[in-house]
Parts: sequence; C-alpha cells; structure tokens
Amino acid sequence: MTTVFLKREVARRVFAKELVSSTYTIRDESEKSPLYVLTPLGLKCNRVFIIGVLTEKEERGEDGNIYRIRVIDQTGSFIGYVGKYQPEAYEALEDIDTLTLVALTAKVRVFEGETGKFVTLRPETISIADPESRDYWVMETAVQTLERIREMEKGESETAKLAMEVYNTNLEEYKRVVKEAVERVMEDYGEFDVEEEMLEEEEDEELELDEDEDLSFEEEEIDLTELLKD
Amino acid sequence: MERVEKLAEQIFEDYKDYGVDRKEIVEKLRKLLIEFRVPENEALRTIRNYIIREYGAPATIRREKITKIEEIKEPNKWVTVKAKAIQLWESSSPSIAQVGLIGDETGYIRFLVWTKAKKPPVEEGKSYIFRNVVVDDFGGVLRLNVTKISEIEEIDEDIKVKPPEDVSEEVEVVGALVAIQQNSGLIQRCGVEGCNRVIKMGKCPEHGKTKPNDDLRIKGVLDDGYRTYEVIINEEGVKALTDIDLEKAKKIAEETLDRNAVLIELKKMLLGKYLRVVGTATPRYLIARHVELFRPDIRKEIEKVRTLLEEV
Repeated sequence: MTTVFLKREVARRVFAKELVSSTYTIRDESEKSPLYVLTPLGLKCNRVFIIGVLTEKEERGEDGNIYRIRVIDQTGSFIGYVGKYQPEAYEALEDIDTLTLVALTAKVRVFEGETGKFVTLRPETISIADPESRDYWVMETAVQTLERIREMEKGESETAKLAMEVYNTNLEEYKRVVKEAVERVMEDYGEFDVEEEMLEEEEDEELELDEDEDLSFEEEEIDLTELLKD
Repeated sequence: MERVEKLAEQIFEDYKDYGVDRKEIVEKLRKLLIEFRVPENEALRTIRNYIIREYGAPATIRREKITKIEEIKEPNKWVTVKAKAIQLWESSSPSIAQVGLIGDETGYIRFLVWTKAKKPPVEEGKSYIFRNVVVDDFGGVLRLNVTKISEIEEIDEDIKVKPPEDVSEEVEVVGALVAIQQNSGLIQRCGVEGCNRVIKMGKCPEHGKTKPNDDLRIKGVLDDGYRTYEVIINEEGVKALTDIDLEKAKKIAEETLDRNAVLIELKKMLLGKYLRVVGTATPRYLIARHVELFRPDIRKEIEKVRTLLEEV
C-alpha cells in the first residue's frame, strides 16, 4: 500500500472585484493539473468559497434547465451557472429566493466570448447564510487579499511577477477596495474606538468613491443587503 | 583485531556506494596495522588513496548524519533527513513553492520549499534525501524548511513510512464546511464484534453480509482558504451542530421511508457553515472531538485586517 492521498483544490477567499478582473489561465507542470485562473493579485485559483447576496436567478438553456445566478459581495458581482449536472446545487437553488444571503462553493470557469475572456462560477454547493458568517467571510477574505497584496509588493514569487506582467495591477486600487469592504461591515459593529486619524481618512475615501463610476453600481446593489436585515 | 574491523567498517560506510569490497579493506588494513605496524592515520590515508585511485571515488567524502523524523523535537536546528513525500498541499502563499508532509519509518513532519530556494518540485510517493534543511516552529507545529542552501536528492529506495494511524496531533481548525460526502448521515456499521466498518452496498468489506448497527456521522471537507481537512464528525458532534441524534435520524428515515433523507437534511443545515473543530489530525483525517458552529468575534477580525492594512 502506498501512503499517498488525493489532493483537493482549496476553496479560495476572493472578492468579486479580484476574481472577475481575471483573464489569464495557467496549469501546473504536472500532467494532471487542473486549469487555474491567475488573478491580478497573483492567486492561482480553481475553486472559491463565497458568501454574498443572491440578486438574480433566471432560467436559461433550451429547456430552461440551467439557472444563471448573480451573487454580489462588498466589491462587485459573480455570475454563475447551475445546471442539472450539479444536482446538489441545482436542487438547493430551487428553494432559495433572490435577495437572500447565500454561501456557495464553486469551481471557477473562464469563458472566451467575443469581447474577451470572462470568469464565471459553477457552484457545487449553495446554501442560505447568516449575516454573521457573511461578516466573517468579508474579514477572512480581506486578510487573505491583503496577504496577496503584500506578496505583490514584494514581487518575489513567480505568480506575483507573472500577475504584475499580465495585469500591471494597481495595488492601491485593491487596497482601497478591501478597505471599503471592511468599513461597510465595521459600521454594523459600532467601531467607535477607531483613531481619529483613521476616521478622517475614511471620510476622504468615501468622498472619492462617490465619483467612482466603476463602483457606483455595486454601491447601489449593496443597499439591498441592508434592506434584507429588517 | 576489533579495532581493525571498526576502522574498516568506517571506510566501507564512506565508500560503499563506489563498489568497494569490505573484505579487501579489512585485509589491507590488517596488513598495514598488524604486520607493518604503521600508525592508524597513515594506514587510513593509504587505504583512502587506494580507493580514490582504484574506484574513482571523490577525494573528499561527505559523511552525512541522517536524522530520524522522530528525533526532530526543536526549532532552529539544521538536519538532513531521508523521507518519502506523503502528501502535497496547496501553497498558501506565492513565496512558498511547495508545502506538504514527508515521512520516514519513525514519523511525519511538515515541510515547505521556499520559492526562492528554486528547487525542482518534489513529487508525492517518491523518496528523497533532504539535506541541510532547517527546522522552524509554526504555531506550535514543527516544519522543515528547504532553503537556497538546502539540497533535495531523489533516491531509488522506497522508504517505508510509519502507518498514518500511529501519528496524530491535536489541532483547532476554523473553516467552512464545503462538502459533505455521500457516506455520511444515517449509516450502517458491521455488527461483528470489534469490526465496526461502514457497510457499503449492504456489505461489510471484511465480513460480507452481517447484522448491521445504525450510526450517525458526517464525513466532510473543512476548508479555511489555505488548505482542506477531511473531517469526521461522530453522532455526538452531529447532535451538537444540528440537534439531530441517532434516534431522531432514524425517525426521519422512517417517516420519509428514505435513509438518504437524513443526509439531505444535514447538507441543508450545514453546508457552507463555518465550523470550529477541536480534534485529532492524522495525515489523512481530522477526527472531531469537539465541534460547534463558529461564532466569530468580528471586532477581533477587524483588528487583524487593520493591522495588515497598516503593513501593506
């Protein structure tokens, strides 16, 4: 008997902004390597775990046997397709209404459309989530994203170098996105003991944000989660 | 005489890979030491030179001390180990090329290869000599670090590793339950005394058809975004998480006429939930001793993020 165990791909914690900005795919050197998406922050990613709001659920496909879903987080939105080949996710999804917080584990897929490549998800499991878990997800995703930003700043690893070459990533932009995501959650926890300096900074950031067209869309969407809480 | 044997053995150990003959060394040494009465160091030098000339061995031999994994007990030591790559995990950081578990006949230890070390990748199931690797302590767990000055040499020998059941460590893991496997829920175990194996397709893999006992358990995957753990949760754990115990599970099965209904219910309740598990980690499984739905301290998490934000 050989003592070797099967390796399962880790479900990465990635904000929508980082994942949907990915267009580059890579494989490992080994023959059986799965296809990974390389994100602008140098993460090799084949599976993700997400907690966000299910905002759209449309039947697609010739027999209407595929759901196209949109799940939004603090930074943007993920698009996913759930077919009957993923019976567990499909059946679970049938019972979940839109405007519900959901947790999903999904494989990452890259489609090559006419206008370029874009990332979609193929959910394996989907379930109803609670606000506390969502907050924890935002925090752990923030931590893991910041760790990636730090690696990008060091620029030592192969994936970081490659990501910088492919995307010419604006790290400041990602820092800002993480900060905003976290601040939105912090509001719920009455973070009064923040240093004054930081508060001022936050206000500045928010002002800047209002002028940012890219993010204004997500801002609107986020309000929906607030509605949900009542 | 004994002395001759001992010195010969030393030389033989150093040069055995070059095809030297033990008997030849003993005879030559005896001649030099006993017949000619030359000093020991001269005798040794003569023989070494002879081997270098005759067998093409290198002039300096690296005599390496192989450390057994069970002897590795503290950080900041440099060691050389001979071990098999048991399992490779996802690297949690781009600066780490490889991370995983290696083992020899005495135990297991985690290892990591820094990207900067620029080493060819280690493959699962192959055996290697890891030279000049340094031990560090990562959250209470010892690891071997392969750095630029380390060496990894693949060897033909198939190292027998200690059976995984014999090795374990206590851990606490917080992660999302991202999968629950099919052989979970209301299961049946073989009723033969001392067997307890899970019945598959109506049969015990060891005893065939036997009178089974019902049991409730979850076999699933816990994932913290860095690595995955195959977690096993027993009836007590399932009850703590869902309030469903074996009796309730049987009732669900009876009412729905479907044993699988229990699994469906457990999936609905637990998939995608963060769990905190305290238990025993073997190289293969995380066996939960205590399990609960994780109640995060968001303020603490916010602090963590804030510290990192200041760093980057």
